[in-house]
Amino acid sequence: MESALLEVAEKAVTRARRRGAPQADAWAEEARESSVRVRDGEVEDLQQSTGKGVGVRVVSAGRLGFAYGSDLSAAGLDALIDRALALAKSAAPDPANRLPGARELSRRHGDLGLLDPAVEALSTEWKIEAAKTMERAGRGIDPRVKTFESVGASDVVAEIAVASSEGLADAYRSSYAALFAVPVAQGDDGQLQTGYWVDQRRFLSDLEPAEQVGRKAAERAVRMLGAKKGPTCKVPVVLEPLQAAAFFGGIAAALDGKRVHQKASFLAGRLGERIAPGWLGLVDDGLYPRGVGSRPFDGEGLPTRRNPLVEGGELRGYLYDTYTALKAKAKSTATAGRSYQSLPHIGTTTLLVQAERPQSAEQLVRGVKKGLYVTAMLGHGADTVTGDFSQGAAGLWIENGELARPVQELTIAGNLLEMLSALDAAGDDLDMRGTVGAPTVRFAELTVAGA
Amino acid sequence: MPRTRTNQRPSRAVRRPARSAPARGPVAPAPPLDPRSAERLIAIAMGRGADFAEVYAERTERTGVSLEEGRIRSAQYGVDRGVGIRAISGAKVGYAWSDDLDPEALERAAQTAAHIAAAPREVTPPRVRRVPLPTHYRVLEPLASSAVDRKVELVLRGDRAARRYDPRVQQVFGSYADQTRTICVGNSAGHWAQDVQDLCRLHFQVVAAGKGGERRTGFYGGGGRVDLRYFESFTPEAAAQEAARQAVATLGAVDAPAGPQTVILAPGWSGILLHEAIGHGLEADFIRKGTSLFTGKVGQKVASELVTVIDDGTVANARGSLNVDDEGIPAERKVLIEGGVLRGYMSDRLNAQLLGGRSTGSGRRESFRHPPMPRMTNTFLAPGDETPEEILASVKRGLYCAHFGGGQVDISNGNFVFEVAEAYLIEDGKLGRPVKNATLIGVGPEVLRHVSRVGCDPTPDPGIGTCGKDGQMVQVGVGLPTVRIDELTVGGTSLGGRA
Repeated sequence: MESALLEVAEKAVTRARRRGAPQADAWAEEARESSVRVRDGEVEDLQQSTGKGVGVRVVSAGRLGFAYGSDLSAAGLDALIDRALALAKSAAPDPANRLPGARELSRRHGDLGLLDPAVEALSTEWKIEAAKTMERAGRGIDPRVKTFESVGASDVVAEIAVASSEGLADAYRSSYAALFAVPVAQGDDGQLQTGYWVDQRRFLSDLEPAEQVGRKAAERAVRMLGAKKGPTCKVPVVLEPLQAAAFFGGIAAALDGKRVHQKASFLAGRLGERIAPGWLGLVDDGLYPRGVGSRPFDGEGLPTRRNPLVEGGELRGYLYDTYTALKAKAKSTATAGRSYQSLPHIGTTTLLVQAERPQSAEQLVRGVKKGLYVTAMLGHGADTVTGDFSQGAAGLWIENGELARPVQELTIAGNLLEMLSALDAAGDDLDMRGTVGAPTVRFAELTVAGA
Repeated sequence: MPRTRTNQRPSRAVRRPARSAPARGPVAPAPPLDPRSAERLIAIAMGRGADFAEVYAERTERTGVSLEEGRIRSAQYGVDRGVGIRAISGAKVGYAWSDDLDPEALERAAQTAAHIAAAPREVTPPRVRRVPLPTHYRVLEPLASSAVDRKVELVLRGDRAARRYDPRVQQVFGSYADQTRTICVGNSAGHWAQDVQDLCRLHFQVVAAGKGGERRTGFYGGGGRVDLRYFESFTPEAAAQEAARQAVATLGAVDAPAGPQTVILAPGWSGILLHEAIGHGLEADFIRKGTSLFTGKVGQKVASELVTVIDDGTVANARGSLNVDDEGIPAERKVLIEGGVLRGYMSDRLNAQLLGGRSTGSGRRESFRHPPMPRMTNTFLAPGDETPEEILASVKRGLYCAHFGGGQVDISNGNFVFEVAEAYLIEDGKLGRPVKNATLIGVGPEVLRHVSRVGCDPTPDPGIGTCGKDGQMVQVGVGLPTVRIDELTVGGTSLGGRA
């Protein structure tokens, strides 16, 4: 692929070599982003901009240096390279500091469906209309929908280019479009409740209709009206897909190979152990078609792949970059994240929670006599070092298999290992609207604290 | 949802007062954009009928050092520079930015912003005049010009001290990060302001290992709008050993209780309670949209009479302080709640105008890539008259929360959380066993009504907080004296005597 941006990345590496860097790679980005918000049927704000920049990583005598900037002229690049080389002198030498070799960087997979020409061509008018439609639909479902915190549409079209002294020059383009609605409903007693619904997709045709996004968001706000504090007790807890995705995102953070190698993760030393029920799987899939987290190569330029993390409830693998893989005598999982403003760091691509023999989400709730259905969480929750989990929660109280009444000001708490074992069912409603896809899941019992 | 995310804790360290030496060398650095260019861009942004236009330019240099496994993993540098242009027509806002400083690219950005209005007209460029500003931070040596090896040394010193502290210290993660941010902002009202904002922080996380594979962590660090000499008094050794102390002290922690408790908050970073429980709900954009539960409550009693809350952007050398906000308006000290009565909100220019008030110098933005919005600076609870010892002795059974993580709030229903990182059971007015990390949850106004004792020990946090709102991160400070809250729900796992 030929592009001006790729030329910038290649030029940065060539110049770095010439200025004395034994190994160097460069990551360049250019993104056009645009967003629209409306209020009371009128445009509230319009934003559109194009930005670009480059980050240069150098390894010299086993020492790592890094610099970034947005001046892409030859002089600008040289200034960054000289900074990176000077900074490397301040870092400690470490034989594990090396860039991936030519063999590992070999050709990546074909088209993953990351760029939609329809998003590239998306007009401001389309976004304004979509935002107005969401607002109208939200207000239409109930007079108690009083206002919106925000309601709008946005899109991004980006190009990423990477070049390495070890023999790599590659680039790809991607797009996504998003719709978001955050209505606020007011009850007769004055109580305010927000709802929240968002969809984000690589392809315009995959995006939920605007009318539906607005309506769902409003329904979620209205059904929380009249929420009271729930009781303190141990009960079954059901997480709707968005909350389940956040929970498993936290689990993936504990699979960071560096934290595992440093024994700073509660999942360290458990490879091959059964950590969850046999029906549960967790996979990081960088090749997932049209996935918002999918990409042809990772932050080090390595071709992405599919990494099973949990299979049949057993822990199958951790996430590694090149540096940590060398230390831990493992292989990179090609999941490093990177922006031009940062060094590569271990992360996930598209994370999928898989369940064998799923039930419908309704069945999951119907099976609970008394319990909590969680639709919103507050706070950070998981301590990946100790495995302690404690997080604010709100949602609907389940009585005799029915969603009976709204509850708020609750916490759910447990130990992540015990919580994984306590998973007793999953839904067939896998929701893939961000970088983590999860279905509804149920825990047999967790501690809920409230009144 | 507004969200404060940080990994920091309180300190008893008191910040140094502003120095009396000149702000920096004889010549202040040139602004990132000259006033004449800004005037031309303002005229273009007004060219389709906007009532107001503004040009904001920024150049920020950042340096960072990270340490793990006893050695410096990397040293990093970056520079962000660009121009953000805003045009306002009524309540409508057009915004565009460019990181390409070429005049043509800047003109394109101004034209994009102008499109929010639709009545083209000829505009004479305004003449902008520089306004004199106060100085709340004096940094003798800009952080961007300080040698990186001095920054490296701070992190290495902390690492050695943490390892010396106790043989159970197993891992130390250290980091140092700084920025020197030069900004200028001009607008169609003829206002022009410039500022240089240095900021740094040193931070340590320690993992301690106990019996049977138990692991506990501790965090500590600090900094502010200071130069490297600050770390002569706020030493890396003390900071890293405090992180180590927390990690070791919580080994053997028992399950936290679940349900409502009487809670004592240790002073300092616990001020995140105010930030979440009440601060965000007093930001004028939420008030204008009617999405905050504090809308229309000025003059009403919203908290216990012991509660006086102040947001103060003028605290000497503090992390959240500003000589001038990102709209060019000087920062202020604002009393938000006085003796439990709501006195006012925090506002930027746009929301002040739409609400019929004035800006309180609270318009902040993460960078030139973002339009400004109302944000907090340093948010404090005024002290009371009881000693911390008296407050502890007043509780028969409860939880003493010594150190905290981050927090988050839903400003509509007022539900907020903050995370306790080090806590002890209170038994008959004395500290008992450590308990595991837990989240505390409450509803802002209710919790503030349950404040029953306020200590005489006002304490600022050590300078680490970063607050996220609508995707924009800005640095903030908080502060609290020792406080007793009679009922707050603790998100533990132990039901104790409960069924």
